[in-house]
Amino acid sequence: MTEPRSLRVVIAEDATLFREGLVRLLADRGHRVVAAVADADALLAAVAEHDPDVAVADIRMPPTHTDEGLRAAIELRRDHPRTGVLMLSQYIETKYAARLLAGNAAGVGYLLKDRVADVAEFADALARVAGGGTALDPEVVSQLVRASSHADGLAALTPRERDVLALMAEGRSNAGIAAALVVSAGVVEKHVASILIKLGLPPSEADNRRVLAVLRYLGS
Amino acid sequence: MSTTGPVNPLAAGRPPGRGPGEPPGPAELRRAGGSLAVLTREAVRAPFTVRTLRELLFCVIEVPLGLCVLAFPIALAGLPLAVSLTTRGAIPPAGSSRTHPAGLIPVLGGVVLFALLALLLLTPRIARGLGAAHRRLAARLLGERIAGPPPIRRGRGAVGWLGATVRDGAGWRAAAYLLVKLPVTVGELYAAFFAAAGLANLTYPFWWPLFRNHPPGVRLHPVSALTPFGALHVATFPGTFAAFAAGAAMLLAAPWAARAVTSADRWLMRGLLGPGRLAQRVADLEQTRAIAVEDSAALLRRLERDLHDGAQIRLATIAMNLGMAREKLGETADPAVRELVDTAHQGAKDALIDLRNLARGIHPAALDSGLADALATLAASSAIPVELTVAVPQRPAPAIETIAYFCAAELLANAAKHSYANKVVIEVAGRGRTLMLRVSDDGRGGADPARGSGLSGLMQRVRTVDGDLEIASPPGGPTQVTVQLPRRA
Repeated sequence: MTEPRSLRVVIAEDATLFREGLVRLLADRGHRVVAAVADADALLAAVAEHDPDVAVADIRMPPTHTDEGLRAAIELRRDHPRTGVLMLSQYIETKYAARLLAGNAAGVGYLLKDRVADVAEFADALARVAGGGTALDPEVVSQLVRASSHADGLAALTPRERDVLALMAEGRSNAGIAAALVVSAGVVEKHVASILIKLGLPPSEADNRRVLAVLRYLGS
Repeated sequence: MSTTGPVNPLAAGRPPGRGPGEPPGPAELRRAGGSLAVLTREAVRAPFTVRTLRELLFCVIEVPLGLCVLAFPIALAGLPLAVSLTTRGAIPPAGSSRTHPAGLIPVLGGVVLFALLALLLLTPRIARGLGAAHRRLAARLLGERIAGPPPIRRGRGAVGWLGATVRDGAGWRAAAYLLVKLPVTVGELYAAFFAAAGLANLTYPFWWPLFRNHPPGVRLHPVSALTPFGALHVATFPGTFAAFAAGAAMLLAAPWAARAVTSADRWLMRGLLGPGRLAQRVADLEQTRAIAVEDSAALLRRLERDLHDGAQIRLATIAMNLGMAREKLGETADPAVRELVDTAHQGAKDALIDLRNLARGIHPAALDSGLADALATLAASSAIPVELTVAVPQRPAPAIETIAYFCAAELLANAAKHSYANKVVIEVAGRGRTLMLRVSDDGRGGADPARGSGLSGLMQRVRTVDGDLEIASPPGGPTQVTVQLPRRA
């Protein structure tokens, strides 16, 4: 698990109820919400002003209620690469995930709003994104796996290895995977090594780089 | 056939407002209580109103336009005549080969027959053109705006083109108008004559003394003045007053004659040059149906938006709060309370999933950014691998996108349930005015709309916008379903 540290956070969410809930949740966890806004333009302005560790943004916001949050996020990735961007949405859309992950998946997250209900996991995901890691919803990962052109490579994995791969793609560390599967870290390490060999990916100690390799593999 | 040529300059050279504006309608006249003075004033003014001048102008132009149709029988009769004359001239002098003319006549006869047949077959199209000219003239000069008939159906190839022409009801009705209108054309000629000759007759007393001032005793031929009852022979100066009176009477009668014939012509045009009652009804139904289809798509979109902004966000907030409560309870709390909170937390999360699926079934939100985005998620969520290609250069109407999306979803679900396929291919292509969706799989085939309600339901849905659904699914496979939709509902 990532060590808890106080993060400076900007929130963009047009539903007042949910926005206020988020502010409270983050404050509860010891983070500092420097701005909580309701649309994409205000998000861009707030990030430019506060230079936060991470921005949490809804995808569907006024005025068109389609993907303005996503477009703002892509702009943030370009102009403020040090700020992590965690997208929250009621739906997971394959194309949106692809656009968000295009180029560089470091410091990016895409979760269903439901995941906020599992407070500890959400806090962990936020910390990962703030630290330059990745946090993808299990649904994003399952869509990536299904849509992947490497069906043969994936078929070579055992069911357990496939579970580990999915958790890796979500952006979790070895310790996080071990906790989720209720196994020891050593077992996870063995699975990870085996997966990387079967898929022909370079072994890597750093969690982040390994995640990126897996995502590139699935997305290519 | 172009009418803009003759009509434009005429409209531009609209008679200056010599009369005191538009005359009152019949109702106003009646309201005047039949006051003789008012009636007289109106009768005297009538020839000089803008309306009368426009109607007279209409009559003047309608005469040659209406008589155009006579070119048709002349052509029908004249063609064989001309050919027979040519043939007779072509008979070579005696002594030359006799087989030549014998061979020539059937050929020429064939040519004539072909030309006549072609002319007859083209009648609807020619009549449509002439009808349009009449309609435009009436719109310009009489303010009688008649909607045109629906365009002639497009046939494929020469045979289809000819078939569409021959079956063109609106074209034949226009031809009927041109024929029935002939007596009205004579009336129009009369109205124009009333005005022109009436005006001429008025001038007799003024020029008579200038030109007829011969010494007494000189015998001159009488001058004739034209009236509807024949020529009036004027031999003396007092006689010119009779011509003047006849002219005044004709000029006063001209507006009413023009009004009567133009009214008759309008009535004929409305009946025969309009879209026709059935075609109008079809057009109305098409329009209202398109509105209904678009409305229902918009309603579903609004419903999804309301769910998204209302119930879904509330439930997500409840789940978040329960999650926080669960953490705060910690290990020390009463196990019964913990269990209750856990159950509520899990229940809220489950309800969120249900609600999300429901909302997606009502209207997938990604559809607002286009078919490609929405179908990508659909394809990625499928149990069978899907190969998706979307090439839609111009976005269709929202209602059409919705129908296409749900067709793809239903067909994909069908393939997953029944086909035992290893792979599904979804293609979407925008071609001109249609949107094509094709879902094919490598499964065992045998899809039959008569057995499953899914396919027949799809067919009904597609037909609400005049779309088309084609199923090719032989037993043993593969299955290919092609949906064609118009780009607009």
